[in-house]
Amino acid sequence: MDTAFLIESVIKVHIVLGFVLLVVPFIVWMERKVLGHMQDRIGPERVGPFGLLQTIADGIKLFMKEDLVPAQADKAVFILAPGITVVTALIATTVIPWGDTVTLFGRTIPLHIADVNVALLFVLATTSMGVYGVVLGGWASNSKYPLLGGLRSSAQMISYELAQGISLVSVVLLAGTLSLAQIARQQAHMWYVVPQFFGFAIYVISGIAETNRAPFDLPEAETELVAGFHTEYSSMKWAFYFLGEYANMMVVSGVAITVFLGGWNGPVLPGPVWFLIKLTAFLFFFIWLRATFPRLRYDQLMAFGWKVLLPASILNLVVTAIVVAL
Amino acid sequence: MTPAPIIPLVYYQVLAAIIFTIGVVGVLVRRSALIIFMSIELMLNAVNLSFVAFSRQHGSMDGHIFVFFVMAVAAAEVAVGLAILVAIFRNRDTANVDDVRLLRG
Amino acid sequence: MLISAFLFAMFAGIAIGCSLGVIFHRNPVHCALMLVGVLLSVSGLFILLNASFLAALQVLVYAGAIMVLFLFVLMLLNLKGENPLLTRGAAKGFGILFAIVVFVELLWTVLSPQVEAGSMGAVPTVPRGFGSPAAIGRVLYTVWLYPFEITSILLLIAVIGAVVLAKRKFG
Repeated sequence: MDTAFLIESVIKVHIVLGFVLLVVPFIVWMERKVLGHMQDRIGPERVGPFGLLQTIADGIKLFMKEDLVPAQADKAVFILAPGITVVTALIATTVIPWGDTVTLFGRTIPLHIADVNVALLFVLATTSMGVYGVVLGGWASNSKYPLLGGLRSSAQMISYELAQGISLVSVVLLAGTLSLAQIARQQAHMWYVVPQFFGFAIYVISGIAETNRAPFDLPEAETELVAGFHTEYSSMKWAFYFLGEYANMMVVSGVAITVFLGGWNGPVLPGPVWFLIKLTAFLFFFIWLRATFPRLRYDQLMAFGWKVLLPASILNLVVTAIVVAL
Repeated sequence: MTPAPIIPLVYYQVLAAIIFTIGVVGVLVRRSALIIFMSIELMLNAVNLSFVAFSRQHGSMDGHIFVFFVMAVAAAEVAVGLAILVAIFRNRDTANVDDVRLLRG
Repeated sequence: MLISAFLFAMFAGIAIGCSLGVIFHRNPVHCALMLVGVLLSVSGLFILLNASFLAALQVLVYAGAIMVLFLFVLMLLNLKGENPLLTRGAAKGFGILFAIVVFVELLWTVLSPQVEAGSMGAVPTVPRGFGSPAAIGRVLYTVWLYPFEITSILLLIAVIGAVVLAKRKFG
């Protein structure tokens, strides 16, 4: 625990968290632009070049809005809930490696904030804590639709967490480690998506369900639940939920890239650049899905999670275990 | 990178004793079956903490294994216990243990 | 050295404060949140004790799954705060008396000379990889294999039990 290590860690924390927070407006811009073009519209274009500053303007607007707390709400929990969503997502980003090591001023610096030996479990644990933000927000609003949204999301997230965890376990079987940096390093020659394609598909589907994105955005379904758990939220508290959702997308993509798509590995370009390219592609995929698929019905969603995804992930795990054992 | 282990075992044991006692108080004085459940979880956690501390002191992994089993048993207990609670609530419209004292259903 | 002492004090303080919150809050959802606080701080203490795997498991299983189930049931039943909060007269007095007896007994055991001689002494350094998933797996799948298998049967029975209870029709 020397001083240099401490300084190094603090700098890395600032870079990663700053990056995640600053890049969110551009993801939102990308989403609106891509969705626009996919639906034969133009998307935002008035504020700044190509409408790039649109989200910044929206953020300023949200900042200026009145911060409402419903009279019947449970005030402390109501304020706490959006914070939980953002904080858990940001904590999860700390263990995702965005490059191998670099040597600076004679020090070998690994390009991730912390290399815990249980990094994968750490990510799963923090994302499982993210449920609380949604559930508590829905409950604390003390109103019908948010409560329904909160209940739905707790059921949905618990169900899909299982399939997600088991699909990652089959990669752990191949890699023999839970450390994300180690897993990424092992994929220098072959990405784990090749032997584990089913695991990858299951992970991506349940990851989308975990982040409450379309077509699994049941907790906030506008048409039936009036925006679900965040009906009563406004101003910066609402913006926090929004921020949390996009940070969660980045965590899910980051883990998918690290575990299945070779992490920072790639020819010619340096590691972090490859990581960013893959991240952008993955986020584009998220948006593409949103533009393509209609929302599932609630019973379809639960049936799909328990009767298709979970058995499929267990089968994948068993087959992987047999192959590894042979 | 693990923190220097300087906290003597006895501190963990005293902390575990305090949490355990709070759990006992909760079980004995609260009326809601759900809170009683939570107090039992408190006691289990106190025991887990004690197990891990002893395990650390003796450099043996067996305490960790016990904590693992305790977690599995707690998960099973909560699943069945909450199902029973929901059943009672549907029948009697209450979750207070003092109100559930008749044998007939 | 100072850092781990500070962390221990912080986690211990949060754990005790939140445990008191669990048993004295009126609103069951607040009680559940306090319990989550206890679970997280105990997980922090696990990390201080070099049990990183168990710490992650504690958050994942306890805080992330069991407590969400609790919250789900609380929200579904929509329980009001109990009124009155505590059990009636004699039972309450007896309960607190009993708790004091338990506490004194526990402290007596923990602080007794024989135990203290072992536990106050220097904390030994642990072998490399202590508390890691690999170390746990090595012990769990050799020495504790049969208990492990029996646990899986227990979980299966619990699943069946919960389904049977939930499916039953109540008049």
